[in-house]
Amino acid sequence: MVDRNLQRAQRAAGVAEDAVRRATMPLRNFGFPYRAPTVPRGVEVPPEVSGLGAHYDTEWARRPLASSVRTAMVEGPVRLAARVLASPEIVGTDRLADLAALEDPPAVIFAPNHHSHLDTGLMIRSVPSAWRHKLVVAAAADYFFDKKWKAALSALSLNAIPIDRELTGRKSSDLIKRLVDDGYSLVIYPEGGRSPDGWGQDFKGGAAYLSARTGAPVVPVFIDGTGAIFGKGMKRPKPGRTRVVFGAPLRSEDGESTRHFNSRIEAAVTTLGDEAITDFWTARQRAATGTSPALTGPDHTGWRRDWALAERRKLGTAGLRRRQQRRWPDLG
Amino acid sequence: MKALRVSRSVRKLGMARIASAISPVTATKLGPLEFTSVDQPELPGPGWHRVHTRLAGICGSDLSLVEGHASLYFEDWVSFPFVPGHEVVGELDDGTRVILEPVLGHEARGFAPPFEGAAPGDGDDYAHLATGPLEPGIQTGFCCSTGGGWAPEFVAHESQLHRIDDDMPDERAVLVEPFAGGIHAALLAAPVVAARQDPTHPAIVAVLGAGTMGLAAIAGLRRYVPDVRIIAGARYPHQRQLAKEFGADVVVAPDELTRAVRRAAGCHMVGDHLSSGAHVTIDAVGTSATVADCLRITRPRGRVVLLGMPADVTLDLTGLWHRETELKGAYTYGTEHLPDGRTVRTFDLAIETANELRAERLLSATYPLSDHVDAIAHAATAGRRGAVKIAFDMRKEDT
Amino acid sequence: MPRPGFVLDVDKSTPPTLFWHGEGFRLEKLPPDRSRVIYAPEPHEAIDDIDGAIRASLLNPIDMDPLPSLLFPGMKLTIAFDDVSLPLPKMRRPDLRQRIIEQVLTMAADAGVDDVQLVAALALHRRMHEFELRHALGDRVYDAFEPRGLLTQHDAEDPDNLAFLGTTDQGEEIEINKRAAESDLLIYVNINLVAMDGGWKSTAVGLASYRSLRHHHNPTTMEASHSFMDQHASELHKSTWRMGKVMRDHGPKVFQIETTLNTDTFPQPFEFLSKREWEWNAKDRALFLGTAKSVAKLPARTARKIFQGIEAPHQMTSIQCGEVEAVHKVTTQNVYDQQLVEVEGQTDILTMGIPYICPYNVHSIMNPILVMCTGLGYFFNLYRGKPLVREGGVVILTHPTTNEFHPVHHPSYIDFFEEVLADTRDPHVMSQKWEKQYAEDDWYRHLYRTTNAYHGVHPFYMWYWGSHAMKHVGKVIIVGGDAATVRKLGFTPASTMNDAFEIASDVVGRSPTITHIKTPPLMIADVK
Repeated sequence: MVDRNLQRAQRAAGVAEDAVRRATMPLRNFGFPYRAPTVPRGVEVPPEVSGLGAHYDTEWARRPLASSVRTAMVEGPVRLAARVLASPEIVGTDRLADLAALEDPPAVIFAPNHHSHLDTGLMIRSVPSAWRHKLVVAAAADYFFDKKWKAALSALSLNAIPIDRELTGRKSSDLIKRLVDDGYSLVIYPEGGRSPDGWGQDFKGGAAYLSARTGAPVVPVFIDGTGAIFGKGMKRPKPGRTRVVFGAPLRSEDGESTRHFNSRIEAAVTTLGDEAITDFWTARQRAATGTSPALTGPDHTGWRRDWALAERRKLGTAGLRRRQQRRWPDLG
Repeated sequence: MKALRVSRSVRKLGMARIASAISPVTATKLGPLEFTSVDQPELPGPGWHRVHTRLAGICGSDLSLVEGHASLYFEDWVSFPFVPGHEVVGELDDGTRVILEPVLGHEARGFAPPFEGAAPGDGDDYAHLATGPLEPGIQTGFCCSTGGGWAPEFVAHESQLHRIDDDMPDERAVLVEPFAGGIHAALLAAPVVAARQDPTHPAIVAVLGAGTMGLAAIAGLRRYVPDVRIIAGARYPHQRQLAKEFGADVVVAPDELTRAVRRAAGCHMVGDHLSSGAHVTIDAVGTSATVADCLRITRPRGRVVLLGMPADVTLDLTGLWHRETELKGAYTYGTEHLPDGRTVRTFDLAIETANELRAERLLSATYPLSDHVDAIAHAATAGRRGAVKIAFDMRKEDT
Repeated sequence: MPRPGFVLDVDKSTPPTLFWHGEGFRLEKLPPDRSRVIYAPEPHEAIDDIDGAIRASLLNPIDMDPLPSLLFPGMKLTIAFDDVSLPLPKMRRPDLRQRIIEQVLTMAADAGVDDVQLVAALALHRRMHEFELRHALGDRVYDAFEPRGLLTQHDAEDPDNLAFLGTTDQGEEIEINKRAAESDLLIYVNINLVAMDGGWKSTAVGLASYRSLRHHHNPTTMEASHSFMDQHASELHKSTWRMGKVMRDHGPKVFQIETTLNTDTFPQPFEFLSKREWEWNAKDRALFLGTAKSVAKLPARTARKIFQGIEAPHQMTSIQCGEVEAVHKVTTQNVYDQQLVEVEGQTDILTMGIPYICPYNVHSIMNPILVMCTGLGYFFNLYRGKPLVREGGVVILTHPTTNEFHPVHHPSYIDFFEEVLADTRDPHVMSQKWEKQYAEDDWYRHLYRTTNAYHGVHPFYMWYWGSHAMKHVGKVIIVGGDAATVRKLGFTPASTMNDAFEIASDVVGRSPTITHIKTPPLMIADVK
């Protein structure tokens, strides 16, 4: 039995098509230059360098007008969207109170774990106001910048800069360094990409490297719950609850290697993750004995890994479901 | 003779009630009480005397009658039209001064007394009050056959008269009847006090209200009930002063009474009820609020004595049955069996108390009968105006 | 560069002075050429890197080993902290206690300590509400310890949780919280707002019971304390130090952490309250008028809510930890550095405006007893050397002094006001006649242990706090207070300041000299 709505939609589309065809009839006779040219055989057409993806130029988004529009968007639609989709609970910002209270708060590099594209919007919403409006986000080029409108929207609303995970371009890191030197704080995901299976991935050294080069402190952040809302592979977001936990700022010590600093950052985010599902004291104790549950999950594979993921999610914010509408059966 | 008379007019009673919300003056003017010519009452028979009124007090029950607040209960126990006034000191034809015991007892109403030596208020059958040769009437002052105190003269039976000698002034004598009422209520506390759980500490008796009746109850407790700690709640400073003089141990403002009883009992407060509290509480005010307060501050299996005359009240009685509290009415007086074993008439105790405490201090002002509007207004607002008892003065100048 | 405290000699061009009046203000013109106003020193700079300073201090204590070396697995660790009566007004988050305790806990976790308990050192004060604990300790610590039952509030009436440590050579008994007494290490986290606190007072008083406290919280000891801000002239402190010695010998090892705050007391809209009147700019004046007028129109409840919600921007100026007495010496010096003002001589009259808050009515109502305690107990005693007013002089307070009591926080105060003050105002008489029954009343004990009520005996302590002042001073007048309530306290009511001076003339004559101590912000007058 064909869906009646589908039938109706088809019929309507048919009517519209006829109308458009009739309207454009006269134009059919117009060719080049009104319409795009066709290419003759045997000729080589040079590939067009698409201004999209990793090559999208986002400078315009940092000009004053764009910045003020962005401020309005962040405080308005972005905030609202984050609340509707994710109901975020933001904790730990008192660890940043001292830096925020300074006359001229220095730029910092936020290093959250990464489970969803929602993380970026959520970070914008959660970063304390001292940094919120001078924030740059490193966003995946192939999701945020693949279409012109998406690229423009990402650059405008999130102040995103494209990062191509396939090729870690010199260009991107130079750009980032320049921006941090200019006072922009950065949100960068040390894991590189989103988690494929709900568990975290090893931290790569990007944040540590940038911090060492620019002197900006690294603020570890743990985002809990976005994976269940709009994880990798989901078509549509499913509203739920999230929690964003900020940690104390970390600076690289004299003579510390990037790798060592990176592992410190990873340990900090791991402890925050522990804090998010248990409490401060347990997390501290486990961190001290090296028994904090790893973000990368257990060593199992297959179904046991997923099983463990479900267990862990039950403990976290994803386990607190928003009150669901109970549908009572119609008993006539 | 010219006297004050209450006639049965439903309309006037209704208007008085409504007007009482505005002021006592308006209520009196619109009400059923009027200063008019009345016939002198006839002597019903042997044993009856003619009494010439000297002083007649205004009591709370008179006020509620005049203002239209009296309960319909008494419909069948009084006979209209009657001359009010039951707190009287008067003079017989032969010049002897007497205090009236207004309750019309069995003898006065033509019936055999219930037991040997019964006082007018005794007995457990009230039929005699509404039947017999006289018109129905519970007391002189509510019976059209006898007349009442708010007139130059009335008639009284021998059993109602207490002769007094010259060293008791009129002003003191007029307080004897209300004192008897208060003392009787106080003595209703005695059995509970005697039977209390912990005899090593004095019993706590709380008294709400320090008008004439409340003060009399305090005096009665102090003098005739041993081993009590009296905690009184009085609204006005002059009342608090008198309460202290009459023997209260602790005197506080009404809104502090609950805490004062808690401190004396050393108990907890659970919600707005005390977990324990007074052994006996005497309510000398008589409104829904004060009765509810009494139930809150009386300990389980304690007794609340209703001395003030509440009429229609709305109460949550859950506390009462949960705590097995006793609610006991108190009406006038009769024969008392004291804790020390004596059997006396309340009136005699009242005379004794009035003499010792110089009760004339409580008589704050007197008025002629013709000035009844001002007199009643003064009596109705006595506390606020620093007064206690108001009376009508019908003595001629030469006495 | 913060300016030091300053004594202004009032002359004809001096603008009226701002007086606190509970939840509100008055501007009073003091008579020229014989009045002076004492202004507090301006707040010192707070430390830049507070967390760094805390860490450095914990690793470098005074006369004790670094904290990490005092922690070992399997030990019993107790962390006691100052309760809601400090600081005043409350700090902005994160509170110093939160910062310090989180660092201490991190060190404890690193050292493998499992058995940790946190104790709010209430003595006989009321239990703290959840939101107050969360404010002081932060949500992380609260959520980690409270659900496990490891965050407790000292219960001085729990016989199973008190340990008797001994008596001093003067027969004073020391009985403190049992858990604290039996710990391998007792860490105390203190915020030293005034010189009175800290040292042995933190543990020997904060964790003590009535049995201990009555030895120094009594009229005789308080009358002989000149003043509470000067440890060496205070009998209260001498007694506490004697108890400290017994604690040192028979009690747990104590690691004392003391911090000082600057006097940056008022946040943005209320900044004008600490400014000198002649330095008010147009904005300050507008703010003052706006605040004073709008607060006057609000119902008392709303005004209280607004004022009690004020969070002060004061921050840490020093932190020292280690051995109790050595640490306290440094702390006291730091407090004096911030708060001392040099003042020459005494005057006939001392005036003071009583603000809306004192240590005992945080998030609550200032009842008449506390008005007296704040004025004659605290402000009167903000001196070193001699009191600001001469013996037999007059003290004038300004406060609405309404007959209002918070029924949950101060139940025994109501009865004290109605029953005890109706009988006597003499601290010695009441301590003989009434104190015991209030201290032992079963219901007050129940309320103290299970709800958020001050102990039954606490109103007595409030009254004793002012006993030296009451003995020293000839008359006390309260301006702008409810007359019946003021009289019940034993003081004289006056409607205006001029009326007050008129009434005072009976005692000090027609041309008395006047000192006004303009506090808060806090200060100590060093009277020569």
